Amino acid sequence: MNETNLPAANDDEYVAVEGLDTRSIECEAIFEAKAARKTASDYEHIVWAYGVLWSLFAIYGVMLWRRSQRLRADVDRLRTRIDQG
Amino acid sequence: MSMVRFVPVLLLAIAAALFPSSVHTIFLDTPIERQLGTVQKIFYFHVPLAWIMMLFGVVCGIAAGLQLRRHSRVAEAIAVASGEMVIVAGLAVLITGPIWGHASWGHAWTWDARQITTGLLWLVFVAYILVRRYGAAGSERLAAALAIFGAVDVPVIYYAVKIWKTTHPSTDTVGSLPSSMWTALWPALGALLATAVAIVWIRARQELTEMDLDDAWVDAEDLGAAKGEAT
Repeated sequence: MNETNLPAANDDEYVAVEGLDTRSIECEAIFEAKAARKTASDYEHIVWAYGVLWSLFAIYGVMLWRRSQRLRADVDRLRTRIDQG
Repeated sequence: MSMVRFVPVLLLAIAAALFPSSVHTIFLDTPIERQLGTVQKIFYFHVPLAWIMMLFGVVCGIAAGLQLRRHSRVAEAIAVASGEMVIVAGLAVLITGPIWGHASWGHAWTWDARQITTGLLWLVFVAYILVRRYGAAGSERLAAALAIFGAVDVPVIYYAVKIWKTTHPSTDTVGSLPSSMWTALWPALGALLATAVAIVWIRARQELTEMDLDDAWVDAEDLGAAKGEAT
């Protein structure tokens, strides 16, 4: 035993820290890695979901705009036809 | 009349103002759900879209019934526009749901009653739009029957989780949400509903214009033919 009442560490061993043992630290690291993976996966799913949602509305918006352009062109053709008699 | 033209513009402006604050509230102010984690944030757009899909399914069914009974052009235009909104919102629901399910349940599609009835609703309205667009003369009755059948499917979707054992949570879950989640849900619902109503409004006006144009072309052709005969 040394001055701090902790066992002396060999070169290939962890130095024990009071209140934390190796197993707890490793468990915590495993949980943190698992939580990080879950959060990353969740964000990936969210980005896909929101991306699909906005894309669908954007595509439908473009379709509406194209339809309105077509209708406007049709009105112009009809007007020309009427003017020509 | 001129003021009515600005209704969709006003609705889209409301939606444009609501969307950023809604996304801000969802991602920065609302706590992360304890069991589902961050992926639960899909809920704030998935559920309002499902409500919008069901709302316009009912609107389409009623409008198609009215069109069949009274031969109302406005009802026909509203039915077609609502039917298309069911397809857009339904597709968004049918894609965002499996994405959420893949993260939460481990399976994108579990063939539960709510998924099947929602898929059925979407297919029925796709059939409705196809019959309206490509159906022969007289196919309006078949189209209206499809729309009414689709509208009848809406309460089945709602009660599916009560009647059958499903992976979807019960209808009481949304009602029992904490106030912090409702605070995020309302702006998302408001923004999506304003967008959907504006789009349906614009689409219905296009449909009415298209009908008027068809009539005008027929009149122009008749007039041209009459002039030709006279000379």
